[in-house]
Amino acid sequence: MPEAYTPVFRRAVIALSGGPIDNAIVRLALEVTRHSHAELIAVHVVELDWTQPLDADVAERSEDAQRVLDAAEGVAELMHGKLEAVLVQARDVGAAIVDEAAARDADLLIMGLPYRTRFGGEFAIGRAIPYALKNAPCAVWVVREPMGEESL
Amino acid sequence: MTAPRSPLHGRKLGDRRVVVDRPHAAYFRYAGDGTMVAKAAASGPTSVVGKRVARVRSFIFGKPLTNAQEIGERLSKKLALPIFSSDAISSSAYATDEILRVLVLAGIAWMTWSIWVAAAIALMLTIVAFSYRQVCRGYPSGGGAYVVARENLGPNFGLVAAAALMVDYVMTVAVSSASALANLATAFEGIAPYKVELGALIIVLVTAANLRGIRESGNIFAIPTYMFVGMALLAIVVGLVNTATGAAHHLAAPPFAEQPGVQAFTILLLLKAFAGGSVALTGVEAIANGVPAFKPPEAKNAANTLIIMAVLLGTIFIGLTFVGLQYGVQATTAQGPTVLGQVGSAVFGGGFLFIMLQISAALILFLACNTSFNAFPRLAAILAQDDCMPRQFAFRGDRLAFSWGIVVLAAVAIAMLYAFNASVDALIPLYSVGVFICFTLSQAGMVIHWRKERSSGWAWRSLVNGFGAILTGVVFLVVAYEKFGNGAWMVLIFIPTLIAMMVFVRHQYASSARQLEMRPGSAVPQPHRHNRVVIPIPGVNRATVQALNVARSITTDIRAVYVSDDAEKTDAVRERWANAVPDVPLVVVESPYRALIAPFVAYLDVLDRTWPNDSEKPITFVLIPEYVARSWWERILYNQAAKQLRATLLGRAHTVVINIPYRRDESRAAASAAEVEPAGTLVAADNGRGH
Repeated sequence: MPEAYTPVFRRAVIALSGGPIDNAIVRLALEVTRHSHAELIAVHVVELDWTQPLDADVAERSEDAQRVLDAAEGVAELMHGKLEAVLVQARDVGAAIVDEAAARDADLLIMGLPYRTRFGGEFAIGRAIPYALKNAPCAVWVVREPMGEESL
Repeated sequence: MTAPRSPLHGRKLGDRRVVVDRPHAAYFRYAGDGTMVAKAAASGPTSVVGKRVARVRSFIFGKPLTNAQEIGERLSKKLALPIFSSDAISSSAYATDEILRVLVLAGIAWMTWSIWVAAAIALMLTIVAFSYRQVCRGYPSGGGAYVVARENLGPNFGLVAAAALMVDYVMTVAVSSASALANLATAFEGIAPYKVELGALIIVLVTAANLRGIRESGNIFAIPTYMFVGMALLAIVVGLVNTATGAAHHLAAPPFAEQPGVQAFTILLLLKAFAGGSVALTGVEAIANGVPAFKPPEAKNAANTLIIMAVLLGTIFIGLTFVGLQYGVQATTAQGPTVLGQVGSAVFGGGFLFIMLQISAALILFLACNTSFNAFPRLAAILAQDDCMPRQFAFRGDRLAFSWGIVVLAAVAIAMLYAFNASVDALIPLYSVGVFICFTLSQAGMVIHWRKERSSGWAWRSLVNGFGAILTGVVFLVVAYEKFGNGAWMVLIFIPTLIAMMVFVRHQYASSARQLEMRPGSAVPQPHRHNRVVIPIPGVNRATVQALNVARSITTDIRAVYVSDDAEKTDAVRERWANAVPDVPLVVVESPYRALIAPFVAYLDVLDRTWPNDSEKPITFVLIPEYVARSWWERILYNQAAKQLRATLLGRAHTVVINIPYRRDESRAAASAAEVEPAGTLVAADNGRGH
């Protein structure tokens, strides 16, 4: 039997989508890193299509985009934790999150996954999480939100 | 974007991303629907001195708390009990003395009646506590007797209750600090000459503790209260055991015992003893005033805490009176041992436990004023919300405490200490008069409350409250009659004066609200009055040009006014102005008496008078160019005339005063904005002069 161990992280990137699961993963990250005092970086990516230049003045003026990170900072403050908030514009959310995690030398990437199904009932995982699972150099934790009652 | 950034390359070819600035994040947080919440950085001082002051404040009073942290500052029952009950529970330490002091006037034999008097007071305590328990539940926003009287008897009765309570809270602080010092002075005679200063110091320390927030002050003050309760209950239990086992024997008369009198034992004497012992009830109302300070469910927790307090107070009071009776304790003069001291000495035999009992009694008497520091500011805040007190009283300070109420209470109590030379004998007649007024009003209010509500059991509840109102009303009359000549008359002057002040404040706020009120649903029309700008200029310089540019954005009716006492300089200014700003008229006001402000104001008067009477007066914008000082000494050198002018013009009809600040680092921008040639020459000629 391999010896059970609790991994210790130095720096964790939390990918925030603006969904209801964001609060839960910020709390989880704060709880997990409470004793190791790991650095926490919350990243929210605003995806731009090719009709706009990458440095277009979109995310900075978007109250919704800013609010995603502000809410995470609020949770951290309530839990007496520290969190750096980073707002990113990119063409692809998954690539931007993985690149940000790699650039910051993170050893953990935490992502939230809403429980959604496609037409026909097949579970939809989206594109960003499979990309991160395949390409992220660090550990990746995916936290799926509970199924709604109608899904049970 | 505030600062365009070059895209960062990703791990794969073609992956790029841009990290976006979040300029608001240091100061604000978006909370949805166009709402921004200010962070600590946005609420703190920006100047160097301000930051230093904030650091010192933070060290003394603790770090500022947010509104969201208010729930964390709420009190649990075990913390609320000492905070709101130290006054009430401490009164059990001397209430029996007050009864015995009256009964002894009829002779030693009649002192056995003390237990019946104490029982009657305990019955009154039960009724009052029952009533306030209902108040907690019925009026969970706090306010106690004030709110009950306001809602059921009318706003003016509410003000009577509020004024009476406030006077009593001030007196509690003054009396408790004075009596604590009187106790200390018996042990350390050297402090007697400094009683006032030391009393003030005690009040300042308790104020500082309360400004740190209710929870922290509770932590500080909880131990003495619980210590006293524990020691007093232990003394009672040991005394009862001794009584049951026949070990309790009558003591010899204590030193400084009150001499037995030969008065007839009449109903009046009994009533006086009852009124004397009723001081035990002071402070009972504090919990009902502070319901919102409790953890949820606030009303339930407050009501339960009130019952615990009443049970403890009643038990200690009756217990000490009963045990004291078994040991034959007697009332003494101020120099002699108290009933509590005699009981403690009898049951503990003067050892360690006796010393602990005395220390705990001294400490709780010392800190009885803390109840006022919690109840008074809350009452003042509710009154301020009702526009009966200045609105500052409703503002919470950095630590969520009602700082204004705390500081004002401390200041008035210190003033009382100075006025009465910290003499307990002089202060005590003013004490506990007001509280019976508010007991009476709250009970009377509850009678009407039950009658209006007609809920289950309303009839017997209103009967109990009606009986309580009569009882406390009688006690008020007896207390007021007994203490009137000794100083209670002052309370009966203070209370109406306070009521008059509150009525005045309420009238002022109502009057201003009427004047400011907009008709509901009315659309704001476009402005239709003529605007004109007058710029008082100290010369022609960049600050003047900046003011001129602002003026041009307001209207085309602009004139500059130069008040001068120097003809040569005037010509130079006029010439330069004509060259630099030919489209704006310059009015020169020569001032042979060298005054600067008055001739300018007179010019504005003349402008107003020349306006046709049949049309609405224009709005005159007075734009005052100001040089922004960068240091304290620059503040002395510049803008003195501008400050005077601003002060003079504030409140002037049809006039808007605007400061146009000119900063040195704006020199380049101003120079380019100014269409004067050559700008450098102008600045060199007049820079800063005359500001």
